[in-house]
Formats: sequence, structure tokens, C-alpha cells
Amino acid sequence: MKKPLASLKNMSYERRKGLYGYGFIAVWFIGALMFLLFPIFESFYYSLFNVTPETGYMNIQPILNKAGDTDYFNNYVYAFTVDPNFRQLLVESLENIALKLPVIVVFSLFVAIVINQKFKGRTFARAIFFMPVIIATGPVYAIITGDINTSGNSSAEQFSTMFEADMVDQLLEFVGIYGFGTRFTEIITTITSDILNLVWNCGIQIIIFLSALQAIPSSAKEVGQIEGATGWEFFWKVTLPYVSPMILVNIVYTAIDSFTDPTNGVMERILDVQSEWKYGLASAMSWSYFGIVLAALAIIFGVMKHFVWYENE
Amino acid sequence: MAKSKLPHTEEDLIHAEEENMHMHSAAEAKEAIEEAVDVIDNNETAASFFKTKIQEPILSFFHIVRMFFPESEPHYKEAKYTRAELKERFKKRLANMSPQEQRKLKIQRALSWIWPIFRAAIVIGLCFIILYPLIFMVSTAFRSRADMSDPTVLWIPRHFTLDNIRDSANVMDYWTTFKNTLILNIGCSIIQVFACAMTGYGFARFNFKGKSILFFIVLLQILIPPQIINIPQFKFFRYFDPFGLASAIGGAPINFIDNPITMYLPAILGNGIRAGLFIFLFRQSFRGLPKELEDAAYLDGCSPFKTFLTVMAPNTSSTFLTVFLFSIVWYWNDYYVSTTFFTNFGIMALKLKNLDATVGRILFGNSVTIPPRDLIIWLEAGCLIGILPILILYIGLQKFFTEGISRSGLTGM
Repeated sequence: MKKPLASLKNMSYERRKGLYGYGFIAVWFIGALMFLLFPIFESFYYSLFNVTPETGYMNIQPILNKAGDTDYFNNYVYAFTVDPNFRQLLVESLENIALKLPVIVVFSLFVAIVINQKFKGRTFARAIFFMPVIIATGPVYAIITGDINTSGNSSAEQFSTMFEADMVDQLLEFVGIYGFGTRFTEIITTITSDILNLVWNCGIQIIIFLSALQAIPSSAKEVGQIEGATGWEFFWKVTLPYVSPMILVNIVYTAIDSFTDPTNGVMERILDVQSEWKYGLASAMSWSYFGIVLAALAIIFGVMKHFVWYENE
Repeated sequence: MAKSKLPHTEEDLIHAEEENMHMHSAAEAKEAIEEAVDVIDNNETAASFFKTKIQEPILSFFHIVRMFFPESEPHYKEAKYTRAELKERFKKRLANMSPQEQRKLKIQRALSWIWPIFRAAIVIGLCFIILYPLIFMVSTAFRSRADMSDPTVLWIPRHFTLDNIRDSANVMDYWTTFKNTLILNIGCSIIQVFACAMTGYGFARFNFKGKSILFFIVLLQILIPPQIINIPQFKFFRYFDPFGLASAIGGAPINFIDNPITMYLPAILGNGIRAGLFIFLFRQSFRGLPKELEDAAYLDGCSPFKTFLTVMAPNTSSTFLTVFLFSIVWYWNDYYVSTTFFTNFGIMALKLKNLDATVGRILFGNSVTIPPRDLIIWLEAGCLIGILPILILYIGLQKFFTEGISRSGLTGM
């Protein structure tokens, strides 16, 4: 008992402090091993085999190819080439996120700028804009959206058709553009008909932008006023640079949020496969999905990094 | 006061006194005045000598008074004009301007009229969209079944009834469920907050080997969707057998499914729902505290853990509250993790998820199928009582939710 104590005393102050650091994170690290790292490796291990649950244990069988050797990547190959839905769902959900991402970021920035201004009932408006975060995460959201769709409540229908693409089409025709392409109208439809979803998914992003807007130093605002910048110029030259780090944060947040959303098509498919007891295939699917998500995030991060401006640098 | 220009005349003295008005402390002012008086004494001007004898005490008194009101109103009064006078002045200003400036001013004036109206339209419209499902929920929850197929009923129910609420509460076994959920949520949240705070503090304030790799695990915790790892986790709790201990003692692995321990254990070990995000928030807010605070505690002989508990934690109490509130909300709303581990244990989110199946079975028996349109009234009533506690919490503590994120230092990255 004496020896380690003596050696502790011989250590420099900083190193001893460092040991306390290990002490502080030890509890979490045990948890992370048990509930994160070990499950990650286990599910990766599953993805290489044919796994079916039996009472009391997992039946793990290697998959053999025609030559009789173990084929470790069979599940991955199966998911991408044989499975009827997986590839299509993957492309769809990636497309969907690529469409939603800029809309959500621009929309929440706009709303944040509007709520940041001084007007009566500002606190009330903020409270309402943040409310979906409190409610929208549970099964409540599923019931709400499902019910509004099935109820056929006339005002609800009017409400959703109000924004639909017919109007956009008519507008385009009115301007003189005919048959611009069904693809384009489809894109517009997915964005506009989903305005409820859009607003209900922006709570956190709006708050993050709001706090970034409030962190803009007053000296920057004064300079803008003295130089006689218009609101438009002020937005591009002052607001946007100051907010740009948070744009990156919001993009990453939104991407993770929609990738891991259980109502996402790919996620649904993975859960379906799981409920068919094909654990190996389900793991392979979720791992390839996760890999693609990570790659997409890395690309977004790499590109956006060049447009972000930090005041201290 | 400029030393190069010594005051020789009365005018200079008055000028010096005017400058003194802007000085902050009475001592400074007094010194400056004395300096000036000395010079005048040397010049031996009787009149100015007399003046300073009166002015000096008055001025110093004035400065002392101002010391007590450091940010009092400026001592000049703003001129007040009537509307007509203002218009007159504005016209005069316009006349002196170039056409360009005039145009710009006009646009500005027009915008300052239009923008608030436009803004009000946007804010009210968006608020309506957000509140729409809630209004719909309240409207349908108090409707009778006949009102659902009555086309004349839009928002206000014709037959106001509390039956749906009562039925849904019965089906959901509301009070038991509420009690279960509340105990589980508050217990898990309190434990989780402290586990995450400790981890966040360890990452924020200590330097040790492998810190960046370990922090990468925290980021992984945020990034990895629970769907990827839930099968191994399920297996872990279904056949709970740490180092073969359970089977050595009891003969078989313990089955922890439907046991609240499946929620408590990850929370204790800092791996509960969204723990990665909370660790990140705590790390940010602990990093924002000054280093001197900690060093002072160490010098007074506090151990690092005591320092954390008695000095650092109270200083980040707002973060503790924010994380606690979010933790409660997310535990309350979570149904993915709870459906993995619970099959019969009554949790609000689970009951809500199964409501559409259970309503028909319990209220009308298995043989009757209810049209989905009629089912809505019970579903919405269930939703309403399900989210009511959280909604009340949010309305009461709204400030801590919205300001908590901005105050937690997330933007100071």
C-alpha cells in the first residue's frame, strides 16, 4: 500500500492532476466500454456472419461461398445487390437530406434574425418556436402527423394544399415557363408541402443561431451604422461572417438528426430486417449506412470549413 | 488637464472646471482644481482667488454626489417637440439634403413602416403552423364521436365531452404510468446529470494522455444511432452475466428485461439517453470558468473532487439545470430505447405508442373495429394527457430551456 503512494508523491504536480482526470472520467469510460464500444465491435462482428438468435445465445454461422471458403463480406454484398429496397432507400434518404439541409439552415437563420429583433411578444414567439423540441421527439409526433393526415379535417386539407406545387406550377406557367420538368416541381413539392415538418424540425437550430446572433459584438454593429451600411449589406458583411461557425454546427446537427431519425426510410428497413431475425444482415446494413453518413459528414465539413470565419484567427 | 497650457485667466479656469465635470473621482477633480488654484495664487489675482474659494467646495460636493450615482442621467435635458414641430424640422432637414440622400431616407422610412407588419405576418403565421397540431389536439380531445363525422364542426366541438380523456386515461392506466415514468425520469436524470458533469469536468480541466482519443469516443456517442448497437445492448441485459458471476451464483444469467435497471445502469455510467451531448455541454461550460477559481481551492487544500463539488459545480448551476431539464424531456419522450428494454413496464411513451391498438381492444373488445377517423379522438386525448406534464414544465421554466443552450457556451466554441 505504501509504495504506490510514495511514487504518487514523487510525481510532478501536473502529472498527479492528470491522474485525477482519469479518475473523473473513469465511471463514464466503464459505461462507454459496456454500452458503446463493446456493442459497436459486437455488431461489426455480427455483420460478417449469418446471425440468428436462439434462446440463450446467438447462433453465429459463417457464410460460405461457392468454393466453400468463408465469405465475410457476403452480408454487405447482399445488402447492396440483392436486397430489393435497401439501395433505393439509401439514395432516396440521401437525396432527401441533401434537399432538406439547405432549406432548414436558411429557414432557421431567417427565423432567428426575425425573432432577434425587438418587438412586442418576442419572448412568447421564442417560446413557441422552441416548443416542438419539447414535444416532437416522441410517439406524440407520429400520432399528430398521422392524425392530421387521416382526419380529412377540411381546414387541415386546405392548409396543406395551400402550399402545394400546383401553385408553383401555375406561377411558372404564368411567367411563361411551361413543362420546366417534373423533377423540379417534385423538389418544390417535397419542400413546400412539408412546411409543418420543416417548422417542427428547426427548434434547436433556431436557438443556436439566436445565441450566435446575440454574440455579435456591439462594436461591429456600431461600425456598420457609422459606415452607413444598409440592412442588406450588414447581413452579408457582418452577420453572416459572425454566424458562419454556427452554420457549420447546424449543418452537422441537422444531418445527424435526420440520418438517425427512426422514421427515416433506411432506418425503417434496418428495423424490418431486424424483426425478421436477420441480425447479421441488419448489422451490415446499419454499418454501411453509418459509413456513408460519416463520409457525407466529412465531405460537408471539409467543404464548409473554407467558408467559416473565426474572429480570433 | 493639459499641462502645457497653464491657466492664466478666468476663462481658462472655467474651462478647466468644465473639464473636471467629466472626471470620475472627486479626488482627481480636487487635485486638478488645486493645481489650477496654485497657479492663480502665484499670479495673485484677487478676484479669481475669491471665485475658486466658492467654487471649489461646490464642485467637489457635486463630484461626490455624482460618485454615488455613477450612471445617472446626463445633466442636459432633451428638447421635446410636438408632432407638428417634428414634421417642420424633418422638412428642413430634407431641404438640406441631396436627392440621393432624400431617396435613401424615404426608402428607410417606408421600410420602417412596412417591415413590422411583414414581420408580424411571418411570426404569427409560423406560430400558427407550430401550434396547429396542438390546437387540433385540444379540439378533438374534447369532441364526442359524432362530431368527428359532422362536417359543420371545424374547431369548436358541438358536443363537449370529457369521456375521451377519461377513457384514454383508463386505457393507459394513467396514474400508475405517470408515477412510474416520473420516478424513472427524475431518478435517471439526476444520476445522469452528475455522471455527465463529472466526465465533462474531467475533459475540461485535466490534461492526461489519450485525452483526444477518449474525447473522440464522446463524439462517437453523439454520432452513433442507437439502432446500430441496440441488439448487443439487448443481449447484455437479457443475459446479464458479468464475468460469469451471475451464472456462478444463481446458476443462470439474470434477465433484466422489463426492469428499470436497464435505464438506471447506463445513466449511472454516463451513457444514458443523449449523454454524449450532455458531456459536451458540460465540458464547454466548465472550460469557460477562470482557472484562478480552481487554483484558489487547491491552495486552500481542497482535493480535486471536493473542488469540483463545492467550487466548480455551483458556478455552473445554470448548466446543471438546463441539462437536467433536457434530460427529463428526452427521457419522457424516448420510446426507442424503452421499447428495446421494456415490454410490459408501463412508461408513458410506450403506452402512447401502443394506444391505437389498446384503445379498441380494451374499450370495445377484440371483435369491433373502429374506423381510424373515430379513433383519433382517443389518440389525441391520450396525447394531450401524455404531454401535459412536460408542457406544464416547459411553460413554467421556459426561460431555462431557451436561454440554457445559449448560456451553456456552445457558441463560444
